[in-house]
Amino acid sequence: MSKKAAPSFSKALFSGVVTDDLLFPYPKLSREEAENLDIMRDTFRKFADDTIDAHLIDEQARLPDKVLQGLKELGFMGMTIPEKYDGFGLSVTAYVKMLDLIAGYDAGVVLTIGAHLSIGLKALLQFGNEEQKKKYLPKLASGEMVAAYCLTEPGAGSDAAGIKTRAVRDEKQGCYILNGSKLWITNGGFADFFTVFAKEPINGPDGEVKDKISAFIVTRDMPGVSSGKAEHKMGIRGSSTAAIFFEDVKVPFENQLGEPGRGFKIAMEVLNSGRLGLAGGSLGGLKAVFKQAIAHIKQRSQFEKTLDQFEMIQEKIGQIAIDIFASESMIYMTTALLDRGDVDYSLESAMCKIRATEVTWNGVNECLQMVGGLGYMKEYPYERAVRDARINPIFEGTNEILRMFVALSGLQERGEYLRKLGKALRGPIKGFGLLTDYATSWVKERVSTDRIREVHSSLNTPKVNFEIWAKNFHFAVERALIHNGKNIIYREMIQERLADAAIDLYAMITTISRVDTLINEKGEAKCQREIRLCNAFADQAWRRVRRNLLMIDHNLDRDIKEISSFVVEEGSYPFEVQ
Amino acid sequence: MNIAVCIKQVPDTETRIKLSEDRSRVVEDDINFIMNPYDEFAVEEALKLQEKNGGEVTYISLGPDRVSSALRSALAMGGDKAIHIKTDKVPEDPQVTAQALTAVLKETSYDLVLLGKQAIDDDHAQMPSLLAEKLGWPAVTVVVKLMVENGRVKAEREIDGAHEIVESSLPAIIGTQRGLNEPRYASLKGIMRAKKIQIEERTLTLQPSSLSVAGFEFPPAKQAGKIVGKDASAVPELLRLLHEEAKVI
Repeated sequence: MSKKAAPSFSKALFSGVVTDDLLFPYPKLSREEAENLDIMRDTFRKFADDTIDAHLIDEQARLPDKVLQGLKELGFMGMTIPEKYDGFGLSVTAYVKMLDLIAGYDAGVVLTIGAHLSIGLKALLQFGNEEQKKKYLPKLASGEMVAAYCLTEPGAGSDAAGIKTRAVRDEKQGCYILNGSKLWITNGGFADFFTVFAKEPINGPDGEVKDKISAFIVTRDMPGVSSGKAEHKMGIRGSSTAAIFFEDVKVPFENQLGEPGRGFKIAMEVLNSGRLGLAGGSLGGLKAVFKQAIAHIKQRSQFEKTLDQFEMIQEKIGQIAIDIFASESMIYMTTALLDRGDVDYSLESAMCKIRATEVTWNGVNECLQMVGGLGYMKEYPYERAVRDARINPIFEGTNEILRMFVALSGLQERGEYLRKLGKALRGPIKGFGLLTDYATSWVKERVSTDRIREVHSSLNTPKVNFEIWAKNFHFAVERALIHNGKNIIYREMIQERLADAAIDLYAMITTISRVDTLINEKGEAKCQREIRLCNAFADQAWRRVRRNLLMIDHNLDRDIKEISSFVVEEGSYPFEVQ
Repeated sequence: MNIAVCIKQVPDTETRIKLSEDRSRVVEDDINFIMNPYDEFAVEEALKLQEKNGGEVTYISLGPDRVSSALRSALAMGGDKAIHIKTDKVPEDPQVTAQALTAVLKETSYDLVLLGKQAIDDDHAQMPSLLAEKLGWPAVTVVVKLMVENGRVKAEREIDGAHEIVESSLPAIIGTQRGLNEPRYASLKGIMRAKKIQIEERTLTLQPSSLSVAGFEFPPAKQAGKIVGKDASAVPELLRLLHEEAKVI
């Protein structure tokens, strides 16, 4: 993200500024792209109906050759690669919509494509030079080469800056010598193209040599590259997950991606955009299993009533629909911000990933619950959906780390502002390794406003609640900074509440924008269902925001920490009923 | 060999049909439209014939703006040209459609016109025969196998309990049936190629309709099933009910 980029909506919100002009009207695909997307979806449905058997894929723990071959031949491995390099040039919005559809057929299939396009070759696309792009992108578009993203190591998971893989320049041989290993690499078993992050000794301006992370293109045909055995996994079993080993691999100088020492930034940028695909794919999986559950509920009778007539079932169905509606409103707003190319979306994409993966996790569990004992049986798709969904809150940044990222990036924004105003805070979160842009100067210039634009009267309650809670959110941010000072970086439970409040506020405003835009287009009479969904979601959301903000000042954090500390010291749960 | 394929855009088979309040028409707002599945067999067959014999494949469709996406879908599978006859809505009277298609078909000399044996929305199943009548050409419908050799057509038709093999001169109209072929998937490359083809638009004066739809009714809702019994002793009662109530045996 360049410094010129317009600041993120949510970062500004931490500073009490509502930049609603970024989010209204709700964006829409061009007619041409919508038409292409329709045809692509149709192609995928036909292909998938004929070839993808999710039950079988799960059991055999691999994609049948005809599935992977078909995806390549039809061009799905090149969806987002520009036409110039023989790809299809799809926008991120349309791409994520495709992932939503594909995920409904099989989690392993969508992950194979996502690991290739969303992260595997993304660094090449964003940071590669023209020669590198010309050399590899056409092969990656056709599927002749499949890509993998190699960051995680046995000793470096969430703390990605701690990687040990090293690349040392060997001037005599005219190449880098790469050594190390990478863990749990999606597509690892068969990928030919690896985006590898490794530490490189770099001369600092003071003459001191320091290890910094750089990015490299490594291909399987280079001697010394090997992959481990396929990992046995709980879910997403159709996708290949394996360790990758590099032993004295000679990597040509020209295979360095981006500038030396800028690898960490590259790694984070790739994940920032990749998370949106994960968020969209996650919801796609939920929608597919939700559909099956609804079909079952409509025909299953107990006590002479079909299940859909029971209020506790209605509650679950209604809740899942509300949650999907709000999550997709966030996701497709954010993909459009990314497609615009001039807005910082790093916080928003993390928020989408957190919300969508948790909505999915809750939703697939509730679907299983609604169909009862049958849901527990292997011959039905529910237990598989639960297993498949479980990885989502873990990979591409655990939801815990991402909550810290959201809160601390937002607080940093506000902290910088306060510091510049000469308040007591001094560089409260300096050195925190996550990537973020500053919007401070921009925020300072804005006249603070706590109102958003007029929306259709049927959405007035959500609008007013958004305004009230956006304002209270800003006050809570100030209080949290003043009370905790720089210790805020250790107060994860406060960070968590701020992040959750920020997510709900973003979900509220994007849902309002979506429905308001729809009403403008179709008229109120045709949008009654959407209006109901928006109002229901906003009501639930502001109550959660209130609770989270209240708990910043009134909470049990100290007790919880104390309890955790003595349980950990004991090593197990130490009590028994007398 | 020049081939024309006539395509109708129809609601997706999974669509939940909604009627207007006066039940005079289907509400189109939320319908996902697709190419008539029987027309897909026609597209595939045309492309196979083109691969073998060369020539051009032209798609023709009639209807409002939305119809262009059915033409794009066909172009994404292959083929060279597409003509969109623009109308406010899809005529209710097949005669009207046939007249308009004929006018466009007469502009070029085609050797073969392929189209689905029927459309899955209104199920009139008249178009191949109406076009044949208006063009003065032979028509072979419900075709499950097609060969074109030495200026003649040899086709297998599905008839009750058998296949009929017929021969015909060219030009001819072929009404395609399921089983004729496996339509190819539109690849992303194909979709990109299709993007670059300009769809020709025509506006024609349609003849007045002599048939109009008076109204729509939904079929009666399915009654819940009945379990007569769970072992062999229930068989006589089941037989009686199937015979006397359901009247199926």
